Amino acid sequence: MEANKTNKTQQTTPIRPYYRKKICKFCADKSLVIDYKRPDILKNFITERGKIIPSRISGTCSKHQRKLAREIKKARIMALLPFVVY
Amino acid sequence: MKYMRYYETLYLIRPDLEPEEYKSVIQKYNKIIEDNEGIITKVEEWGKRELAYEVEKFKDGFYVLVRFCGDADLPEKLQRDFRIDERVLKFIVIKLKDKVNPEELKGEISDEKSKDEEVKAKDGSK
Repeated sequence: MEANKTNKTQQTTPIRPYYRKKICKFCADKSLVIDYKRPDILKNFITERGKIIPSRISGTCSKHQRKLAREIKKARIMALLPFVVY
Repeated sequence: MKYMRYYETLYLIRPDLEPEEYKSVIQKYNKIIEDNEGIITKVEEWGKRELAYEVEKFKDGFYVLVRFCGDADLPEKLQRDFRIDERVLKFIVIKLKDKVNPEELKGEISDEKSKDEEVKAKDGSK
């Protein structure tokens, strides 16, 4: 009985962690082009180890994230961005 | 009316070449495009840039960007030469548009040139 009660209170009042709504940088700023020839822009979306930052962290929308991943891969082929950083 | 495809290629030239040979590499590929009825709209030399990783032990190289329109078999010919040529370390050919009118492109050539000049003028004013 007692256990049930506590369960109910947890369900009705979920813990809401504070977070800011993430905004897709490419939707907000139309002048920001996703292009493999612009490693200066793409560099902001890879980690120090050279990995592509997931959209759940960067906040990029899925449409732009797909394009971003494609262009980063092209840039890697052309040695504009690293495949791995040791 | 014959439509063409619009392509872009970026290639990386070895850094240890003499300036004349570097020029001859660019001319060679421009000639291949023109010999195959392609129209070059833009040749952009990025100059010597540091590479993100070593390519054949080189830490830097010359990047050249060429925009052109041509028939569908042109990129294949171009890529075959890129692969054979030891002076070219890396290359990529990308299709930008499927159907373009070569006549309209000629207008764009002058447009792009004037745009480039505008950008340069803006950069200068900054």
